[in-house]
Amino acid sequence: MSNDGDALPGSDELIENAPCALLLTLDDGTIKRVNQTFCQWLGMPREALLGRRFQDLLSMGGKLFHQTHCLTLLQMRGSVSEVKLDLLRQDGSTVSMIFNAVRRQTPQGYRQELALFGAQERTTYERELTASQKMAEELLLQQLASQKELSSAQNRLRLAQTEADIRATFAEQMVGFVSHDLRNPLAAIKMAAGLIGLDPLSERQQRSLGHVMVSVERAQRLIVNLLDFTQARVGRGITVLAQAIDLHKVIGACVEELRLMFPERTLIHRTVGEGACSADADRLFELVENLVSNAVAYGAADSDIVVTSAFEAQWIKVSVHNHGAPIAQNLLGSLFEPMLFGVADDNDAHTVGLGLFIVREIARAHWGDVSLTSSEKEGTTFVASLARPVV
Amino acid sequence: MGSTATLGAFVSIDLMGFWTACVVIRMSVQLRNNVNVMGDGPATLVFAHGFGCDQNMWRFMAPLFAERYRVVLFDMVGNGQSEIHAWFKRKYDSLDGYASDLLEIVKEFAGPGPVIHVGHSVSAMIGALADLKEPGHFAAHVMIGPSPCYINDGDYIGGFTRQDIESLLEALDSNYLGWSGNIAPVIMGAPEQPELGQELTDSFCRADPEIAKQFARVTFMSDHRQDIQRLATKTLILQCSDDLIAPVQVGDFLHRAIAGSTLRQIENVGHCPHMSAPGACIDAIDQFLADSGVVALVK
Repeated sequence: MSNDGDALPGSDELIENAPCALLLTLDDGTIKRVNQTFCQWLGMPREALLGRRFQDLLSMGGKLFHQTHCLTLLQMRGSVSEVKLDLLRQDGSTVSMIFNAVRRQTPQGYRQELALFGAQERTTYERELTASQKMAEELLLQQLASQKELSSAQNRLRLAQTEADIRATFAEQMVGFVSHDLRNPLAAIKMAAGLIGLDPLSERQQRSLGHVMVSVERAQRLIVNLLDFTQARVGRGITVLAQAIDLHKVIGACVEELRLMFPERTLIHRTVGEGACSADADRLFELVENLVSNAVAYGAADSDIVVTSAFEAQWIKVSVHNHGAPIAQNLLGSLFEPMLFGVADDNDAHTVGLGLFIVREIARAHWGDVSLTSSEKEGTTFVASLARPVV
Repeated sequence: MGSTATLGAFVSIDLMGFWTACVVIRMSVQLRNNVNVMGDGPATLVFAHGFGCDQNMWRFMAPLFAERYRVVLFDMVGNGQSEIHAWFKRKYDSLDGYASDLLEIVKEFAGPGPVIHVGHSVSAMIGALADLKEPGHFAAHVMIGPSPCYINDGDYIGGFTRQDIESLLEALDSNYLGWSGNIAPVIMGAPEQPELGQELTDSFCRADPEIAKQFARVTFMSDHRQDIQRLATKTLILQCSDDLIAPVQVGDFLHRAIAGSTLRQIENVGHCPHMSAPGACIDAIDQFLADSGVVALVK
């Protein structure tokens, strides 16, 4: 045992070359003893360190932290540990060290015993950690900001949509009110024109009166369409009053009337199958009138217009056919929506573009729908299919 | 002294980027700032600690003054045993937030006599700002190691460059890394200080890392050289002979800036003469209180 003891280095040697830096300072930091390890780490000879104050070896941040944290702790409770400080080497570079210290009272006053451990690797690693944390926090902030932006954009969109809906509904209601109010003055004009017609008139006056009557009727049809439209859009939808009727008779009477309205065109009525069914005669009249008016307006001027009323197994079909330029392919999808014209620059368009919308609504009110085929060769055919309820 | 004062503190809960709540809380000033009152006498001495510490740093001075005066001690929000939940960035992103707290403490805990504010380091400025904000509450200021501006600026010598302060913030960063929440690092035993109770030593100099960084930034980036010239209250400046944080030039500057102020130099290395040279500080303060006539010297 004693032989082993002799082979071990003495205490002084252990302290000199300990794997940590050891210092003894006065209470103001003046270095009184320092081991070889510390001298090596800082690259300074012992003579250059003795008599200097420990805090003067620190980086500026280290000095401030040492003063505000370490010294107060040492004075208050006599020890401090695991504080990381940057020290300045002889060559001006910095080296990070973990700082532990104890403050002891001696007959000659207070002494501070310091032990320092190298922490270069740890510092590098911690810097990377801090940088990653900062980056993660920034990314999180960015993400939160973009989420906030997205949700506020969505809110703005919803708000704009709601506003637009309210405006549209209001506009449609206005159309309804105005159309309704126009009916009375039109009726008065028509009645007055009829009274004028009872008196003997010159041929010219007679012709003018005819124009007045035709125009009034056109205006009345337009108003009926507008009222149906507003009822379909903002009201409870188009109402039908189904009654037992003979389809062929109703459509036949309708075609007869339309012939008077469009004397320059040839209207042909074809019937298929029996005719007894349940439907709204006035609405069917409206439906055929709208389709025929369209055919007159957009079909070839010399083409016959064929109105077919047909009974099939489950459907009642009312179709109107004409020849002429086919309907553009890109319009087919939206043709039955309100306010769209088949031919945009056609000034002779007979309504404001509600006709086909109303045709579809009437068909739907009869649990049916509308369809359309249009080609150069075959011409254009609109078909309204109505469900065929049991009579 | 445990009465509740209304604190118009708006606590914001920033959740998912939305201000979802804005709650007015009532919190006791006593709890918020861990206010402790000792002794009684013809005047009140309010002791305010500086950056990096808490009211325990007054333990070598306060008990002696408590024999003759009313002594009020407190921890600034975010330090010591203050209520950490009372801290929020918007309020404490300038010294003004701390000045408001100080005024509330004085209004609630000061005795009927004159009030003397004893502020260490940054708290000296906080005391001055509180006085300027609401004049009339303080009869005198004792500033220990004060500095109105830590960063050099032209002819003015504050002692630091901006890079130095950045370097401190880095040191704070690396020393608080790995600390969880409000837990101080493990501290080796203090066998020679048995008089310090365990509870006390455990909380000493405790600070939340985020709050400490913010406080360091607010403290060391502050510049109150303009404000301080408006201070008309009697002031004692205790300047250490060798202080890294507040060099003697800063003490001279303040002495010139505050009209009628008294400058006393204390032979001391370091920034905390009230801990390393408490006797000299007590003598200087007593002398000042007697000379200035704020209170008659009570023996």
